[in-house]
Amino acid sequence: MSVRVKGQGTTFQIRWIPKYTTVERFLHWLHTFTFLPLALTGLILYAPWLGSLAQGPAGMTMRLIHRVAAVLFGGVPILYLILQPRRVALHMREFLSFGRYDLLWLKAAAAYYLLGRHTDMPPQPRFNTGERLNALVMVVGTLTFGLTGLPMWFGRMSMPMELYQALVVIHDVAFIITMTMFLVHFYLAVIHPLMWQSLVSMRFGSVSESYAREHHGAWYYGEKRARQMWEAEHKKQEEQDEDKED
Amino acid sequence: MQLTRRDFLKLSGAGAGASLAGGLLLSPGEVAAATPGPGDLGILYDSSKCVGCRACQMACKRWNKRPAEPDDAQGIYDAPQGLSADTWTLIELKKRSDDEWHFFNYQCMHCADAACVTVCPSRALFKDERGFTAYDREKCIGCGYCTRFCPYGVPHLERQTTTELLSGRTKTAKCTFCQDRIAAGIGGPFCAETCPVGALVWGQRADLLTTAKARVTDLQGQGLSAARLYGETEAGGLHRLSILFGEPGEYGLPLKPASPTTARLWQGVFQWLGQAAFGAAILGSIGAFFVARRKIHMEEVE
Repeated sequence: MSVRVKGQGTTFQIRWIPKYTTVERFLHWLHTFTFLPLALTGLILYAPWLGSLAQGPAGMTMRLIHRVAAVLFGGVPILYLILQPRRVALHMREFLSFGRYDLLWLKAAAAYYLLGRHTDMPPQPRFNTGERLNALVMVVGTLTFGLTGLPMWFGRMSMPMELYQALVVIHDVAFIITMTMFLVHFYLAVIHPLMWQSLVSMRFGSVSESYAREHHGAWYYGEKRARQMWEAEHKKQEEQDEDKED
Repeated sequence: MQLTRRDFLKLSGAGAGASLAGGLLLSPGEVAAATPGPGDLGILYDSSKCVGCRACQMACKRWNKRPAEPDDAQGIYDAPQGLSADTWTLIELKKRSDDEWHFFNYQCMHCADAACVTVCPSRALFKDERGFTAYDREKCIGCGYCTRFCPYGVPHLERQTTTELLSGRTKTAKCTFCQDRIAAGIGGPFCAETCPVGALVWGQRADLLTTAKARVTDLQGQGLSAARLYGETEAGGLHRLSILFGEPGEYGLPLKPASPTTARLWQGVFQWLGQAAFGAAILGSIGAFFVARRKIHMEEVE
Protein backbone atom coordinates (compact mmCIF):
# COMPACT_ATOMS: atom_id res chain seq x y z
CA MET A 1 0.00 0.00 0.00
CA SER A 2 1.49 3.33 -0.91
CA VAL A 3 0.33 6.90 -0.87
CA ARG A 4 1.56 9.42 -3.34
CA VAL A 5 1.48 13.02 -2.16
CA LYS A 6 1.96 15.67 -4.81
CA GLY A 7 3.31 19.03 -3.76
CA GLN A 8 4.96 21.89 -5.59
CA GLY A 9 7.48 20.15 -7.75
CA THR A 10 7.99 17.34 -5.30
CA THR A 11 6.55 13.86 -5.19
CA PHE A 12 7.21 11.59 -2.31
CA GLN A 13 5.94 8.25 -1.40
CA ILE A 14 4.86 6.81 1.94
CA ARG A 15 5.10 3.06 2.10
CA TRP A 16 2.62 1.55 4.52
CA ILE A 17 3.54 -1.69 6.21
CA PRO A 18 0.84 -3.91 7.72
CA LYS A 19 1.46 -4.28 11.45
CA TYR A 20 -1.70 -5.63 13.08
CA THR A 21 -4.15 -8.20 11.75
CA THR A 22 -7.88 -7.49 11.63
CA VAL A 23 -8.51 -9.94 14.48
CA GLU A 24 -5.81 -8.32 16.59
CA ARG A 25 -7.30 -4.89 16.09
CA PHE A 26 -10.88 -6.01 16.69
CA LEU A 27 -9.99 -7.82 19.90
CA HIS A 28 -7.78 -4.95 21.06
CA TRP A 29 -10.72 -2.54 20.82
CA LEU A 30 -13.15 -5.03 22.29
CA HIS A 31 -10.81 -5.39 25.27
CA THR A 32 -10.51 -1.59 25.50
CA PHE A 33 -14.21 -0.87 25.35
CA THR A 34 -15.07 -3.56 27.88
CA PHE A 35 -12.22 -2.47 30.16
CA LEU A 36 -13.55 1.09 30.30
CA PRO A 37 -17.01 0.32 31.76
CA LEU A 38 -15.39 -2.16 34.14
CA ALA A 39 -12.91 0.46 35.30
CA LEU A 40 -15.51 3.22 35.58
CA THR A 41 -18.01 1.12 37.53
CA GLY A 42 -15.15 -0.10 39.75
CA LEU A 43 -13.79 3.42 40.22
CA ILE A 44 -17.06 4.44 41.88
CA LEU A 45 -15.96 2.53 44.96
CA TYR A 46 -12.86 4.76 45.14
CA ALA A 47 -14.68 8.06 45.08
CA PRO A 48 -17.08 8.88 47.90
CA TRP A 49 -18.28 11.93 45.97
CA LEU A 50 -19.64 9.49 43.39
CA GLY A 51 -21.29 7.72 46.33
CA SER A 52 -24.84 8.18 45.07
CA LEU A 53 -23.93 6.07 42.02
CA ALA A 54 -23.02 3.24 44.38
CA GLN A 55 -26.36 3.32 46.18
CA GLY A 56 -29.76 1.77 45.63
CA PRO A 57 -31.03 1.17 42.07
CA ALA A 58 -28.14 3.13 40.51
CA GLY A 59 -25.64 1.00 42.38
CA MET A 60 -27.41 -2.16 41.26
CA THR A 61 -27.23 -1.00 37.64
CA MET A 62 -23.51 -0.34 38.05
CA ARG A 63 -23.03 -3.86 39.37
CA LEU A 64 -24.99 -5.26 36.43
CA ILE A 65 -22.89 -3.28 33.93
CA HIS A 66 -19.76 -4.53 35.69
CA ARG A 67 -20.90 -8.12 35.30
CA VAL A 68 -21.95 -7.89 31.66
CA ALA A 69 -18.72 -6.09 30.74
CA ALA A 70 -16.72 -8.63 32.77
CA VAL A 71 -18.09 -11.53 30.73
CA LEU A 72 -17.18 -9.79 27.46
CA PHE A 73 -13.79 -8.68 28.80
CA GLY A 74 -12.94 -12.21 29.87
CA GLY A 75 -14.35 -13.50 26.60
CA VAL A 76 -11.74 -11.62 24.51
CA PRO A 77 -8.74 -13.84 25.30
CA ILE A 78 -10.94 -16.95 25.13
CA LEU A 79 -12.22 -15.88 21.72
CA TYR A 80 -8.66 -15.26 20.56
CA LEU A 81 -7.62 -18.69 21.81
CA ILE A 82 -10.45 -20.28 19.84
CA LEU A 83 -9.95 -18.24 16.67
CA GLN A 84 -6.16 -18.20 16.44
CA PRO A 85 -4.48 -20.32 19.10
CA ARG A 86 -1.16 -20.22 17.29
CA ARG A 87 -1.09 -16.46 17.21
CA VAL A 88 -1.85 -16.37 20.95
CA ALA A 89 1.15 -18.62 21.52
CA LEU A 90 3.20 -16.39 19.23
CA HIS A 91 2.16 -13.31 21.20
CA MET A 92 3.01 -14.91 24.50
CA ARG A 93 6.45 -15.75 23.15
CA GLU A 94 6.86 -12.17 21.89
CA PHE A 95 5.67 -10.69 25.21
CA LEU A 96 7.98 -12.87 27.28
CA SER A 97 11.21 -12.34 25.34
CA PHE A 98 13.30 -9.80 27.20
CA GLY A 99 16.99 -9.15 26.64
CA ARG A 100 19.85 -6.73 26.97
CA TYR A 101 18.24 -4.21 24.64
CA ASP A 102 15.25 -3.94 26.93
CA LEU A 103 17.39 -2.59 29.77
CA LEU A 104 18.95 -0.11 27.35
CA TRP A 105 15.48 0.83 26.12
CA LEU A 106 14.24 1.47 29.66
CA LYS A 107 17.30 3.66 30.31
CA ALA A 108 16.84 5.68 27.16
CA ALA A 109 13.02 5.85 27.20
CA ALA A 110 12.60 8.90 29.48
CA ALA A 111 14.90 11.06 27.35
CA TYR A 112 13.15 9.89 24.20
CA TYR A 113 9.54 10.25 25.29
CA LEU A 114 10.12 13.54 27.09
CA LEU A 115 12.77 15.22 24.96
CA GLY A 116 12.65 13.37 21.69
CA ARG A 117 16.25 12.13 21.93
CA HIS A 118 16.27 9.00 19.81
CA THR A 119 19.97 8.16 19.40
CA ASP A 120 20.17 5.87 22.44
CA MET A 121 17.02 3.91 21.64
CA PRO A 122 18.00 0.31 20.80
CA PRO A 123 16.17 -1.45 17.94
CA GLN A 124 12.91 -3.08 18.99
CA PRO A 125 10.84 -5.94 17.63
CA ARG A 126 7.15 -5.60 16.71
CA PHE A 127 6.36 -4.81 20.36
CA ASN A 128 8.80 -2.57 22.19
CA THR A 129 9.79 -3.08 25.83
CA GLY A 130 7.05 -0.84 27.15
CA GLU A 131 4.40 -2.44 24.97
CA ARG A 132 5.47 -5.90 26.12
CA LEU A 133 5.36 -4.83 29.78
CA ASN A 134 1.91 -3.36 29.21
CA ALA A 135 0.77 -6.55 27.47
CA LEU A 136 2.08 -8.74 30.28
CA VAL A 137 0.40 -6.61 32.93
CA MET A 138 -2.87 -6.88 30.98
CA VAL A 139 -2.55 -10.66 30.51
CA VAL A 140 -1.78 -11.26 34.18
CA GLY A 141 -4.37 -8.66 35.17
CA THR A 142 -7.14 -10.22 33.08
CA LEU A 143 -6.36 -13.65 34.52
CA THR A 144 -6.33 -12.23 38.05
CA PHE A 145 -9.64 -10.43 37.52
CA GLY A 146 -11.21 -13.66 36.29
CA LEU A 147 -9.73 -15.88 38.95
CA THR A 148 -10.81 -13.55 41.77
CA GLY A 149 -14.00 -12.14 40.22
CA LEU A 150 -15.75 -15.36 39.27
CA PRO A 151 -15.40 -16.98 42.73
CA MET A 152 -16.59 -13.72 44.35
CA TRP A 153 -19.58 -13.77 42.02
CA PHE A 154 -20.61 -17.42 42.23
CA GLY A 155 -18.84 -18.87 45.25
CA ARG A 156 -19.34 -16.17 47.87
CA MET A 157 -20.83 -18.44 50.51
CA SER A 158 -18.93 -21.61 49.67
CA MET A 159 -15.49 -20.41 50.68
CA PRO A 160 -13.86 -19.38 53.96
CA MET A 161 -14.28 -15.72 54.92
CA GLU A 162 -10.54 -15.15 54.88
CA LEU A 163 -10.29 -16.38 51.30
CA TYR A 164 -13.14 -14.15 50.16
CA GLN A 165 -11.54 -11.15 51.84
CA ALA A 166 -8.22 -11.96 50.18
CA LEU A 167 -9.95 -12.17 46.78
CA VAL A 168 -11.53 -8.73 47.29
CA VAL A 169 -8.15 -7.21 48.11
CA ILE A 170 -6.35 -8.97 45.23
CA HIS A 171 -9.05 -7.82 42.78
CA ASP A 172 -8.50 -4.28 44.05
CA VAL A 173 -4.72 -4.42 43.75
CA ALA A 174 -5.01 -5.85 40.23
CA PHE A 175 -7.24 -2.91 39.36
CA ILE A 176 -4.79 -0.35 40.74
CA ILE A 177 -1.96 -1.85 38.67
CA THR A 178 -3.88 -2.32 35.42
CA MET A 179 -5.62 1.05 35.65
CA THR A 180 -2.31 2.87 36.18
CA MET A 181 -0.87 0.92 33.25
CA PHE A 182 -3.90 1.81 31.17
CA LEU A 183 -3.45 5.53 31.87
CA VAL A 184 0.21 5.37 30.84
CA HIS A 185 -0.68 3.32 27.76
CA PHE A 186 -3.40 5.80 26.84
CA TYR A 187 -0.99 8.72 27.12
CA LEU A 188 1.75 7.10 25.05
CA ALA A 189 -0.53 5.61 22.42
CA VAL A 190 -3.09 8.37 21.96
CA ILE A 191 -1.70 11.66 23.26
CA HIS A 192 2.08 11.55 22.84
CA PRO A 193 3.03 13.62 19.76
CA LEU A 194 5.67 11.17 18.48
CA MET A 195 3.35 8.18 18.71
CA TRP A 196 0.51 9.36 16.55
CA GLN A 197 0.98 6.43 14.21
CA SER A 198 0.34 3.90 16.95
CA LEU A 199 -3.31 4.92 17.13
CA VAL A 200 -3.53 4.96 13.33
CA SER A 201 -2.03 1.50 13.14
CA MET A 202 -4.39 0.07 15.73
CA ARG A 203 -7.27 1.54 13.72
CA PHE A 204 -6.15 0.75 10.15
CA GLY A 205 -3.52 -1.90 10.75
CA SER A 206 -0.53 -0.27 9.04
CA VAL A 207 2.43 1.93 9.94
CA SER A 208 4.62 3.97 7.65
CA GLU A 209 7.99 2.64 6.66
CA SER A 210 9.83 5.43 8.48
CA TYR A 211 7.88 4.79 11.67
CA ALA A 212 8.60 1.06 11.47
CA ARG A 213 12.30 1.74 10.92
CA GLU A 214 12.56 4.17 13.79
CA HIS A 215 10.38 2.43 16.38
CA HIS A 216 10.60 -1.24 15.49
CA GLY A 217 14.01 -1.63 13.87
CA ALA A 218 14.39 -5.27 14.83
CA TRP A 219 11.06 -5.99 13.17
CA TYR A 220 11.73 -3.87 10.07
CA TYR A 221 15.32 -4.92 9.35
CA GLY A 222 15.31 -8.28 11.08
CA GLU A 223 16.93 -8.81 14.43
CA LYS A 224 20.44 -9.56 13.24
CA ARG A 225 20.78 -6.70 10.83
CA ALA A 226 19.23 -4.24 13.26
CA ARG A 227 21.74 -5.25 15.88
CA GLN A 228 24.65 -4.89 13.51
CA MET A 229 23.48 -1.47 12.40
CA TRP A 230 22.93 -0.28 15.93
CA GLU A 231 26.31 -1.51 17.13
CA ALA A 232 28.08 0.05 14.17
CA GLU A 233 26.29 3.33 14.78
CA HIS A 234 27.18 3.33 18.43
CA LYS A 235 30.79 2.49 17.84
CA LYS A 236 31.00 5.48 15.55
CA GLN A 237 29.41 7.68 18.14
CA GLU A 238 31.64 6.45 20.93
CA GLU A 239 34.69 7.21 18.78
CA GLN A 240 33.34 10.70 18.10
CA ASP A 241 32.77 11.24 21.79
CA GLU A 242 36.31 10.12 22.54
CA ASP A 243 37.64 12.46 19.88
CA LYS A 244 35.81 15.33 21.49
CA GLU A 245 37.26 14.49 24.88
CA ASP A 246 40.77 14.50 23.39
CA MET B 1 20.12 16.97 25.28
CA GLN B 2 19.64 15.59 28.77
CA LEU B 3 16.74 15.61 31.14
CA THR B 4 17.47 18.90 32.87
CA ARG B 5 17.14 19.37 36.59
CA ARG B 6 14.31 21.80 36.02
CA ASP B 7 12.35 19.22 34.03
CA PHE B 8 13.00 16.63 36.68
CA LEU B 9 11.78 18.92 39.45
CA LYS B 10 8.75 19.84 37.39
CA LEU B 11 7.87 16.18 36.95
CA SER B 12 8.39 15.29 40.61
CA GLY B 13 6.30 18.29 41.57
CA ALA B 14 3.53 17.17 39.25
CA GLY B 15 3.64 13.66 40.73
CA ALA B 16 3.50 14.90 44.31
CA GLY B 17 0.73 17.36 43.48
CA ALA B 18 -1.18 14.61 41.75
CA SER B 19 -1.02 12.36 44.78
CA LEU B 20 -2.13 15.17 47.03
CA ALA B 21 -4.98 16.24 44.75
CA GLY B 22 -6.01 12.62 44.31
CA GLY B 23 -6.09 12.17 48.05
CA LEU B 24 -8.18 15.29 48.64
CA LEU B 25 -10.57 14.63 45.80
CA LEU B 26 -11.22 11.00 46.52
CA SER B 27 -10.70 10.69 50.25
CA PRO B 28 -12.15 7.33 51.23
CA GLY B 29 -14.47 6.66 54.15
CA GLU B 30 -13.52 7.05 57.76
CA VAL B 31 -11.70 3.92 58.89
CA ALA B 32 -10.31 5.04 62.25
CA ALA B 33 -11.01 2.57 65.07
CA ALA B 34 -14.09 3.66 66.99
CA THR B 35 -15.13 3.21 70.61
CA PRO B 36 -18.59 3.60 72.18
CA GLY B 37 -19.65 7.11 73.09
CA PRO B 38 -21.06 8.17 76.50
CA GLY B 39 -24.70 8.39 75.40
CA ASP B 40 -24.75 5.12 73.45
CA LEU B 41 -27.60 2.66 73.71
CA GLY B 42 -27.09 -1.06 74.16
CA ILE B 43 -28.62 -4.46 74.80
CA LEU B 44 -27.53 -6.79 77.59
CA TYR B 45 -28.12 -10.52 77.30
CA ASP B 46 -27.80 -12.40 80.58
CA SER B 47 -27.51 -16.08 79.78
CA SER B 48 -28.06 -16.98 83.45
CA LYS B 49 -31.60 -15.60 83.30
CA CYS B 50 -32.61 -16.93 79.88
CA VAL B 51 -35.18 -19.73 79.91
CA GLY B 52 -35.02 -20.32 76.15
CA CYS B 53 -38.67 -19.43 75.47
CA ARG B 54 -37.74 -17.83 72.14
CA ALA B 55 -40.15 -14.95 72.67
CA CYS B 56 -37.34 -12.64 71.46
CA GLN B 57 -37.20 -14.54 68.15
CA MET B 58 -40.94 -14.27 67.66
CA ALA B 59 -40.99 -10.60 68.66
CA CYS B 60 -38.21 -9.84 66.20
CA LYS B 61 -39.99 -11.61 63.34
CA ARG B 62 -43.27 -9.90 64.15
CA TRP B 63 -41.96 -6.35 64.42
CA ASN B 64 -39.63 -6.62 61.43
CA LYS B 65 -42.20 -8.59 59.40
CA ARG B 66 -39.82 -11.47 58.70
CA PRO B 67 -41.44 -14.74 57.60
CA ALA B 68 -40.82 -18.09 59.27
CA GLU B 69 -38.25 -20.16 57.43
CA PRO B 70 -40.26 -22.87 55.71
CA ASP B 71 -37.28 -24.75 54.35
CA ASP B 72 -35.84 -25.58 57.74
CA ALA B 73 -34.15 -28.96 57.46
CA GLN B 74 -35.80 -30.30 60.61
CA GLY B 75 -39.19 -28.83 59.89
CA ILE B 76 -39.15 -26.90 63.14
CA TYR B 77 -40.26 -23.36 62.47
CA ASP B 78 -39.16 -21.85 65.76
CA ALA B 79 -35.62 -23.26 65.67
CA PRO B 80 -33.95 -22.10 62.45
CA GLN B 81 -30.49 -23.44 61.71
CA GLY B 82 -28.80 -20.09 62.08
CA LEU B 83 -29.09 -16.38 61.51
CA SER B 84 -30.33 -15.50 58.03
CA ALA B 85 -31.88 -12.69 56.05
CA ASP B 86 -35.19 -13.58 57.74
CA THR B 87 -33.91 -14.56 61.18
CA TRP B 88 -32.18 -11.67 62.90
CA THR B 89 -32.14 -13.06 66.40
CA LEU B 90 -31.86 -16.68 67.47
CA ILE B 91 -31.73 -18.69 70.70
CA GLU B 92 -29.45 -21.71 70.72
CA LEU B 93 -28.92 -24.32 73.40
CA LYS B 94 -25.32 -24.78 74.52
CA LYS B 95 -24.39 -27.91 76.48
CA ARG B 96 -21.19 -27.54 78.50
CA SER B 97 -21.62 -30.98 80.09
CA ASP B 98 -24.48 -33.36 80.77
CA ASP B 99 -25.38 -31.33 83.85
CA GLU B 100 -24.69 -27.81 82.66
CA TRP B 101 -26.80 -26.30 79.89
CA HIS B 102 -27.09 -22.68 78.83
CA PHE B 103 -28.94 -20.76 76.21
CA PHE B 104 -27.38 -18.11 74.05
CA ASN B 105 -29.03 -15.37 72.04
CA TYR B 106 -27.35 -14.62 68.70
CA GLN B 107 -28.00 -11.29 67.05
CA CYS B 108 -26.03 -8.35 65.68
CA MET B 109 -23.37 -7.32 68.19
CA HIS B 110 -23.47 -3.68 67.00
CA CYS B 111 -19.67 -3.32 67.18
CA ALA B 112 -18.34 0.18 67.76
CA ASP B 113 -15.65 -0.63 65.19
CA ALA B 114 -17.94 -2.39 62.73
CA ALA B 115 -16.27 -4.20 59.82
CA CYS B 116 -19.55 -4.23 57.88
CA VAL B 117 -19.68 -0.42 58.00
CA THR B 118 -16.02 -0.14 56.97
CA VAL B 119 -16.50 -2.26 53.84
CA CYS B 120 -20.02 -1.14 52.84
CA PRO B 121 -19.52 0.73 49.53
CA SER B 122 -23.01 2.24 49.46
CA ARG B 123 -23.10 3.47 53.07
CA ALA B 124 -26.26 1.46 53.52
CA LEU B 125 -24.78 0.20 56.77
CA PHE B 126 -23.78 3.04 59.06
CA LYS B 127 -23.20 3.86 62.70
CA ASP B 128 -26.20 5.55 64.29
CA GLU B 129 -25.28 8.44 66.57
CA ARG B 130 -26.65 6.33 69.44
CA GLY B 131 -23.98 3.72 68.77
CA PHE B 132 -25.79 0.86 67.09
CA THR B 133 -25.17 -0.30 63.52
CA ALA B 134 -28.11 0.97 61.50
CA TYR B 135 -29.19 -0.05 58.01
CA ASP B 136 -30.79 1.81 55.11
CA ARG B 137 -32.25 -0.87 52.85
CA GLU B 138 -32.91 1.63 50.03
CA LYS B 139 -29.19 2.30 49.62
CA CYS B 140 -28.06 -1.33 49.69
CA ILE B 141 -26.81 -2.74 46.38
CA GLY B 142 -26.46 -6.32 47.55
CA CYS B 143 -22.71 -6.65 47.07
CA GLY B 144 -22.48 -8.92 50.10
CA TYR B 145 -19.16 -7.57 51.40
CA CYS B 146 -20.74 -7.15 54.87
CA THR B 147 -21.71 -10.83 54.93
CA ARG B 148 -18.10 -11.87 54.42
CA PHE B 149 -16.33 -9.33 56.61
CA CYS B 150 -18.49 -9.45 59.76
CA PRO B 151 -16.54 -11.39 62.42
CA TYR B 152 -19.85 -12.73 63.78
CA GLY B 153 -21.36 -13.74 60.43
CA VAL B 154 -24.47 -11.65 61.11
CA PRO B 155 -25.54 -9.96 57.84
CA HIS B 156 -27.03 -12.26 55.21
CA LEU B 157 -28.14 -11.63 51.65
CA GLU B 158 -31.80 -12.17 50.89
CA ARG B 159 -32.79 -15.33 49.10
CA GLN B 160 -31.53 -15.40 45.51
CA THR B 161 -32.93 -17.02 42.41
CA THR B 162 -30.52 -17.96 39.61
CA THR B 163 -31.36 -14.74 37.72
CA GLU B 164 -30.68 -12.72 40.82
CA LEU B 165 -27.42 -14.55 41.37
CA LEU B 166 -26.38 -13.63 37.81
CA SER B 167 -27.49 -10.02 37.99
CA GLY B 168 -26.54 -9.54 41.65
CA ARG B 169 -29.92 -7.99 42.44
CA THR B 170 -30.46 -8.64 46.12
CA LYS B 171 -30.26 -6.87 49.46
CA THR B 172 -28.55 -7.59 52.70
CA ALA B 173 -30.46 -7.93 55.96
CA LYS B 174 -29.59 -7.90 59.64
CA CYS B 175 -30.77 -6.76 63.06
CA THR B 176 -31.18 -2.99 63.06
CA PHE B 177 -31.54 -2.49 66.85
CA CYS B 178 -35.18 -1.78 65.88
CA GLN B 179 -33.94 1.58 64.58
CA ASP B 180 -37.46 2.44 63.42
CA ARG B 181 -38.82 2.01 66.96
CA ILE B 182 -35.99 4.13 68.36
CA ALA B 183 -36.45 6.82 65.73
CA ALA B 184 -40.22 6.94 66.26
CA GLY B 185 -39.75 7.05 70.03
CA ILE B 186 -42.00 3.99 70.50
CA GLY B 187 -39.40 2.17 72.56
CA GLY B 188 -36.31 0.04 72.15
CA PRO B 189 -35.41 -3.25 70.48
CA PHE B 190 -38.57 -5.36 70.48
CA CYS B 191 -36.70 -8.53 71.53
CA ALA B 192 -35.54 -6.86 74.75
CA GLU B 193 -38.94 -5.32 75.40
CA THR B 194 -40.61 -8.69 74.96
CA CYS B 195 -38.29 -10.83 77.08
CA PRO B 196 -40.47 -12.04 79.98
CA VAL B 197 -37.58 -12.86 82.35
CA GLY B 198 -35.29 -9.87 81.90
CA ALA B 199 -32.57 -11.89 80.17
CA LEU B 200 -32.55 -9.34 77.35
CA VAL B 201 -32.69 -5.73 78.45
CA TRP B 202 -31.88 -2.49 76.66
CA GLY B 203 -30.83 0.95 77.82
CA GLN B 204 -27.79 3.17 78.11
CA ARG B 205 -24.73 1.06 77.37
CA ALA B 206 -22.80 2.57 80.30
CA ASP B 207 -25.60 1.56 82.72
CA LEU B 208 -25.83 -1.93 81.24
CA LEU B 209 -22.08 -2.32 81.65
CA THR B 210 -22.35 -1.50 85.38
CA THR B 211 -25.29 -3.90 85.80
CA ALA B 212 -23.46 -6.65 83.91
CA LYS B 213 -20.27 -6.33 85.92
CA ALA B 214 -22.20 -6.48 89.21
CA ARG B 215 -24.13 -9.49 87.93
CA VAL B 216 -20.92 -11.34 86.95
CA THR B 217 -19.43 -10.69 90.42
CA ASP B 218 -22.69 -11.90 91.94
CA LEU B 219 -22.73 -15.10 89.83
CA GLN B 220 -19.10 -15.82 90.63
CA GLY B 221 -19.94 -15.33 94.32
CA GLN B 222 -22.59 -18.03 93.92
CA GLY B 223 -19.87 -20.44 92.78
CA LEU B 224 -20.41 -20.03 89.03
CA SER B 225 -16.76 -19.29 88.35
CA ALA B 226 -17.13 -19.56 84.57
CA ALA B 227 -19.39 -16.50 84.44
CA ARG B 228 -17.90 -13.65 82.46
CA LEU B 229 -18.78 -10.51 80.56
CA TYR B 230 -18.34 -10.40 76.80
CA GLY B 231 -18.42 -7.25 74.71
CA GLU B 232 -16.82 -4.52 76.82
CA THR B 233 -13.81 -4.05 74.54
CA GLU B 234 -14.26 -6.55 71.69
CA ALA B 235 -14.33 -4.92 68.23
CA GLY B 236 -13.92 -1.50 69.81
CA GLY B 237 -16.70 -2.34 72.30
CA LEU B 238 -19.96 -4.10 71.49
CA HIS B 239 -23.36 -2.51 71.96
CA ARG B 240 -24.75 -6.00 72.58
CA LEU B 241 -23.19 -7.13 75.86
CA SER B 242 -23.40 -10.77 76.95
CA ILE B 243 -22.92 -12.72 80.15
CA LEU B 244 -21.39 -16.06 79.24
CA PHE B 245 -20.48 -19.23 81.06
CA GLY B 246 -17.11 -20.27 79.71
CA GLU B 247 -14.82 -19.20 76.93
CA PRO B 248 -16.30 -17.14 74.07
CA GLY B 249 -15.09 -19.92 71.79
CA GLU B 250 -17.60 -22.32 73.35
CA TYR B 251 -20.32 -20.07 71.97
CA GLY B 252 -18.65 -19.71 68.61
CA LEU B 253 -17.74 -16.13 69.44
CA PRO B 254 -14.33 -14.83 68.38
CA LEU B 255 -11.97 -13.92 71.22
CA LYS B 256 -10.59 -10.87 69.44
CA PRO B 257 -13.14 -9.84 66.81
CA ALA B 258 -11.21 -6.82 65.65
CA SER B 259 -12.46 -5.31 62.43
CA PRO B 260 -10.60 -7.64 60.00
CA THR B 261 -7.14 -6.57 58.94
CA THR B 262 -8.12 -7.11 55.31
CA ALA B 263 -10.93 -4.55 55.62
CA ARG B 264 -8.45 -1.99 56.93
CA LEU B 265 -5.79 -2.92 54.41
CA TRP B 266 -8.34 -2.60 51.64
CA GLN B 267 -10.08 0.63 52.62
CA GLY B 268 -7.23 2.31 54.47
CA VAL B 269 -4.13 1.41 52.47
CA PHE B 270 -4.82 0.09 48.98
CA GLN B 271 -7.55 2.54 48.07
CA TRP B 272 -5.23 5.39 49.02
CA LEU B 273 -2.38 3.85 47.06
CA GLY B 274 -4.69 3.45 44.09
CA GLN B 275 -5.77 7.06 44.20
CA ALA B 276 -2.17 8.22 44.47
CA ALA B 277 -1.22 6.02 41.50
CA PHE B 278 -4.11 7.23 39.30
CA GLY B 279 -3.48 10.85 40.25
CA ALA B 280 0.24 10.56 39.59
CA ALA B 281 -0.35 8.83 36.23
CA ILE B 282 -2.84 11.47 35.06
CA LEU B 283 -0.98 14.59 36.22
CA GLY B 284 2.36 13.00 35.31
CA SER B 285 1.08 12.47 31.76
CA ILE B 286 -0.12 16.05 31.55
CA GLY B 287 3.25 17.30 32.80
CA ALA B 288 5.12 14.99 30.43
CA PHE B 289 2.97 16.18 27.55
CA PHE B 290 3.90 19.82 28.08
CA VAL B 291 7.60 18.98 28.41
CA ALA B 292 7.43 16.86 25.26
CA ARG B 293 5.57 19.54 23.35
CA ARG B 294 8.21 22.13 24.18
CA LYS B 295 11.22 19.90 23.57
CA ILE B 296 10.12 17.88 20.59
CA HIS B 297 9.85 19.71 17.30
CA MET B 298 7.60 17.64 15.10
CA GLU B 299 8.80 19.39 11.91
CA GLU B 300 12.25 17.91 12.54
CA VAL B 301 10.86 14.42 12.91
CA GLU B 302 11.01 12.27 9.81
